Amino acid sequence: MRTLDPQSLTQHVDRLYRAAWALCGSREDAEDLVQETFARVLARPRVLSGEHELYYLMRVLRNTFLTSRRTASRRPVTVAALDDVVAADPRPLGQPERALEMQEVYATIAALPEDRRLALVAVDVLGLSYREAARALRVREATITTRLFRARKEVARLLVAELAPEPPQIPVARREETRANGVLPSRETS
Amino acid sequence: MTELPPHTESELIELVRSSEVRAPDSLHRQVGTLLASRRRRRLALHPPVLAAMTAAVVVVAALAVFLSGSGSHTLNMHLAAAPTLRAATRSAPPESSTNHAELTAAVDGVKFPYWEDRFGWRSTGMRSDQIAGRAITTVFYADASGRRIGYAIIAGHPAPQISGGAVFWRGGVPYRLLSEDGASVVSWLRDGYLCVISGRAVSGATLLRLASWSDHHASAS
Repeated sequence: MRTLDPQSLTQHVDRLYRAAWALCGSREDAEDLVQETFARVLARPRVLSGEHELYYLMRVLRNTFLTSRRTASRRPVTVAALDDVVAADPRPLGQPERALEMQEVYATIAALPEDRRLALVAVDVLGLSYREAARALRVREATITTRLFRARKEVARLLVAELAPEPPQIPVARREETRANGVLPSRETS
Repeated sequence: MTELPPHTESELIELVRSSEVRAPDSLHRQVGTLLASRRRRRLALHPPVLAAMTAAVVVVAALAVFLSGSGSHTLNMHLAAAPTLRAATRSAPPESSTNHAELTAAVDGVKFPYWEDRFGWRSTGMRSDQIAGRAITTVFYADASGRRIGYAIIAGHPAPQISGGAVFWRGGVPYRLLSEDGASVVSWLRDGYLCVISGRAVSGATLLRLASWSDHHASAS
């Protein structure tokens, strides 16, 4: 048992932001989500029972994300953020091409079903072990393995379909139609 | 784009794991503010330390103001109104126990109003932002039908100069009303501090009435 050192959390801001971006699909929402996550964590002293700080942050991030989703669904008026409030800089160390690529990757991850998205974010984006991810998401380790397998496969497939220069891009609506006709591989079922 | 997207799952994993996308500086600052706020709460138990730190902060702030000039030209209405349309990140401030027209939250002593009993707008949350070098504190209110209002007070003297919009006078104070991103926005000065209030599905007249409520809140400047 040890008390969480708040100062140590600053080293996780970037990684948590990437995780939030992949969860929300939007930089602005990701920023809000990370802020709220830190606000919750810092609201009072936290005691960790031996686990890694990132594992704990993932738990709080997940809970905050799910709570905000529920709150938003109950809210009758959708409040959108102005798109240029804070000029978020998506460039990873000055590599604009890579930034564009990551933007597509995060957007694709964000389009996954929630359970697969959370599994992929926990393991691949945050870097948790399968065991930590399973505990953070309150599921069995085998479930994480399955969800992760499907999530990776789905994201890779969608990225190939949407980003590769060959074959030509097919609009989403058209792709669904085409898939139904059996031209593209069918979507994984959960 | 010069690189091809990942074609296999292993390429995807490698790409995601090697990503070095940095969080925006504003987010790093917000986290820093949260940490500082937590430290202040703990230091509140040690008045001498707190007094020394406060003095240091005052000196640094004075130097910052001196070195940076007014900076008032950098914040426009669009930026000032933006936080009022974003999501709350902290819990709602309670009603002041000494003044039932105010909440406990304030910016440099300028308190946010308490509207629940009189107008049915209850405070629902808060957020803090740093935009164009200005600290902006926003309190959010909601009414029974779920409509939401954001009320921001921008810290720092002199207050940023805001132009544009239609000017309405209430009690000798000019209020600027305009539409921003589908929301009505009203700005005015309270005790020399720029205030901005906005809401979607809320009329400009309602915002003007709320903004100009209570004589001691508004002041000509």
